[in-house]
Amino acid sequence: MASVILNGVRKTFGAVNVIPGIDLEIESGEFVALVGPSGCGKSTLLRMIAGLEEVSGGEVWIEGRKVNDVSPKDRNIAMVFQSYALYPQMTVAENMSFNLRLAKKPKAEIRERVAEAARMLDLEALLDRKPGQLSGGQRQRVAMGRAIVRSPKVFLFDEPLSNLDAKLRVAMRAEIKQLHQKVKTTSVYVTHDQIEAMTLADRLVVLNKGHVEQQGSPLDLYNRPANLFVAGFIGSPAMNFLEARAARGDGHLRAQLADGNALELDPALGVADGQEIIIGLRPELINNDAGEAVCGEVIMIEPMGAQTLVYFSYGGKTVTAIVDGEHRVAVGETFRSGIERRRIHVFDRASGMRRDPE
Amino acid sequence: MTRSEFISHAALVIIFVLAGLAIFPFYWMFVTATTSDANMFAASPQLVPSLSQLGIFAQIFEEGAVKTWLANSFIIAAGTTVLTLALAIPLGYAFARFPFWGKAGVGIGLLVTQMLPEAVLVVPLFSIFSPLGLLNSYAGLILANTAFTLPVITWILKNAFDTVPVEIEEAAVLDGCTGINALVRVVLPVIMPSVAASAVIAFFHGWNEYVFALTFITNDTLKPASVGLAGFIGEISTPIQSVMAVGVVYTLPAVALYLLMQRFIVSGMAAGSVKG
Amino acid sequence: MSSHSHGTQLARIHGSRWLPYMLVLPGVVYLLVFQGIPLLQEMRLSVSNTSLLNPSRFNFIGVANFSRLLRDPNFFNSIQVTAIYVAGCVIGTIGLGLFAALLMDREFTGRSFVRSLIIIPWAAPPVAIALVFRWMLNGQYGIVNRGLEPLGLMPAEGLWLDNPSLALITVLAITIWQLFPFTAVVILASLQSVPKELKEAAQIDGAGLWAQFHAVTWPVIRPTVALLALLMTIWSIRRFELIWLLTQGGPVGSTNTLVIDLYRRGFIINKLGEAAAVGMVGMAVSVLVTIAYFAVANRATRAEKMR
Ligand SMILES: Nc1ncnc2c1ncn2[C@@H]1O[C@H](COP(=O)(O)OP(=O)(O)O)[C@@H](O)[C@H]1O
Ligand SMILES: [Mg+2]
Repeated sequence: MASVILNGVRKTFGAVNVIPGIDLEIESGEFVALVGPSGCGKSTLLRMIAGLEEVSGGEVWIEGRKVNDVSPKDRNIAMVFQSYALYPQMTVAENMSFNLRLAKKPKAEIRERVAEAARMLDLEALLDRKPGQLSGGQRQRVAMGRAIVRSPKVFLFDEPLSNLDAKLRVAMRAEIKQLHQKVKTTSVYVTHDQIEAMTLADRLVVLNKGHVEQQGSPLDLYNRPANLFVAGFIGSPAMNFLEARAARGDGHLRAQLADGNALELDPALGVADGQEIIIGLRPELINNDAGEAVCGEVIMIEPMGAQTLVYFSYGGKTVTAIVDGEHRVAVGETFRSGIERRRIHVFDRASGMRRDPE
Repeated sequence: MTRSEFISHAALVIIFVLAGLAIFPFYWMFVTATTSDANMFAASPQLVPSLSQLGIFAQIFEEGAVKTWLANSFIIAAGTTVLTLALAIPLGYAFARFPFWGKAGVGIGLLVTQMLPEAVLVVPLFSIFSPLGLLNSYAGLILANTAFTLPVITWILKNAFDTVPVEIEEAAVLDGCTGINALVRVVLPVIMPSVAASAVIAFFHGWNEYVFALTFITNDTLKPASVGLAGFIGEISTPIQSVMAVGVVYTLPAVALYLLMQRFIVSGMAAGSVKG
Repeated sequence: MSSHSHGTQLARIHGSRWLPYMLVLPGVVYLLVFQGIPLLQEMRLSVSNTSLLNPSRFNFIGVANFSRLLRDPNFFNSIQVTAIYVAGCVIGTIGLGLFAALLMDREFTGRSFVRSLIIIPWAAPPVAIALVFRWMLNGQYGIVNRGLEPLGLMPAEGLWLDNPSLALITVLAITIWQLFPFTAVVILASLQSVPKELKEAAQIDGAGLWAQFHAVTWPVIRPTVALLALLMTIWSIRRFELIWLLTQGGPVGSTNTLVIDLYRRGFIINKLGEAAAVGMVGMAVSVLVTIAYFAVANRATRAEKMR
């Protein structure tokens, strides 16, 4: 059964239409990441699920109940804020038990549930501290503990890791993932960091300017981005885009590039002769000597140890490729590599939409 | 000694001289209170308190008036504190958190009222209180004092509320706090230092207040210490030791509480007064 | 993000759109009743010849009170006294406060102790201050004259507060003594936000103490000092108790500020109408000063943003 359903949900702030209309179904136990650039409406959407923002139109359903007019506390959700929003005057234990105390649960039960959450999050030694005496990572864990203690039907996370430094972020990412595997609670996770979204979520929902660009499993989105926006957003370093014109002849389909080079494409692609297209090449896949040849003069290199980023000119642009760290390249040389034909992404330039074999 | 060493030594000397000047009058109040009659008008003044004369502080309480004055001051000050906080907390909270119709107007009103001299309102308040039987009552003074503490305290508290992230309140709402509950259980405890500082400021406005008490209170049993003590000025029948001893007893609680809360009060006052 | 819709939202999740009004109403009604209505009454009084002897009789006389004031040398005297008193307070409290703050803005043993001592005058009740200063300045037995006599510095007949040529300056000195702790501590707090690196950079550039102050410190504390100047101005215009208890405006009007004058006219000469007219003038000055302050402050912040 679907745990959360958004049915044509809209949001306007005054005259500004922030979310023109979103439909979304989230399955029970699923971990969904809402991902998109800053300002695209992720938090607004999440806060509408929480009930912290009123919907301007449409319906929000949680666990089979329409909650448009249900107050936040009665929606059976818990939220982890970017700033953690811990109560500074309360101890860790008091922070975690606040909801249960307000709900007048028996003392013994409260103690037990707090203890269990503390065990799960390794907070047992910190229960009597105040938030001010904790490190960033510890505060983050308390914020999650506060959510877990309530055993809600849905977890909502709003960029919970963005205030942590890079190392801690990776560690906490793993913790969140393990936690979800343990408790299996439906989770909606907002982030602008696509790597975070890819690594954590069962399903990604890519948002842009208040609408859904594409949704699917992380690998779906990586392998078959529906449009230029998703293609550019998912993957790091970002996909290379080259402008080209399609040329058909004697059973072949070619992409004619600006610098005179051409790339052989799958002739089954739904592309007409002379059509303006965009070619998308993932940097980490330009490493195949057997595929379509992609070569050009090296402009800059960035060794990173295991791998080296090579910037070379191709198709009238500077193209990024990732090669093995052992591979010797020097600025000024000609970089020779290739890419498998089935790995070349093709988009219609006018609409930005993906073209697939027909 | 280098030039900069000299400067920093000189600075230290000056700062201690300034501190000495700041407390000398209080010291002198104490010395005078404990000077014996014989020494009071001697050729060379007594410069240190004599501990044998400390009994003066017990003596002044033997007379009923001083006790009554201090008790009255306390009741008036406490009443002013409670009423001020009761009105200023919701007002400051609303100002920090919500838009509402007429907000700008109320803001200007709060600013302008900080400019009204008490002396300007003595007469009209007198004429309002008179038919209501509020002259010669604690209530009248508390009501008048609060009119003057409310604007400043509102701004101090508004600034304090502004420092509390809205997310904390949202978290409280998700945790199940309804209506004013989030304010009471989560937000107020966070700004407790500012609330305490506001309480002290309001308390001492009431404790120190003189004009209204002078004008509204004619009944001796209701006089606060400010009016009682001022009555000694220019009067010669009471021994100066007793007068100064009453002065010490009246000043001490004010100074002590201010010192306890000084960190919060000064920043609160600076931020809260006359700032839009 | 506009706080506007955010706030509405908060009100909604708290359960009621009327919540803000329920919160504001008691305070607003209170201020209307105990400040607004009295102020209107005072305005009404200022165009009447109501007397303290018969306060309920209202007799409209137009601007007669104001035109009488314009012909009254006492009134002009009190304007002059107020101007000197206010200017003296502002310059004195801020000058001395800034000086003390700069001296305290360094690490030394006993710093927090000294800071606590210095704040005491500000915390003390005006009645107690007036009492002890009148005693200290007593012509015959006051400690001040006893200290100055051997040095030959005692004023004529040992009179301070009762001396027409010394009373105002004495009252001013006492006022500054009571208020400089406040300005000092506020300025000290803002001095602590002056970046250390900037001072060090200036030192490395060879800036002397004055150049350091001018280039690094002053720009940071200027807004605070400006706000203090406004506060000191308004507080000085309002100040009643200390002056009244020290001199009652005398001798011969030498300390008769507007507020003292207003009280004298109302309660000594019983002319409530005239007193109210003086009050209106005092209020108008305060409001004008504040408007001027905010106009200048706004222009300064805008200029700051342009840069
Ligand atoms: N309370 C509000 N009032 C007006 N505009 C808002 C408000 N909250 C968010 N917005 C606007 O809505 C858009 C989406 O905001 P948000 O959901 O916070 O984006 P994200 O979380 O994706 O960064 C932004 O352009 C933001 O300025
Ligand atoms: Mg956001």
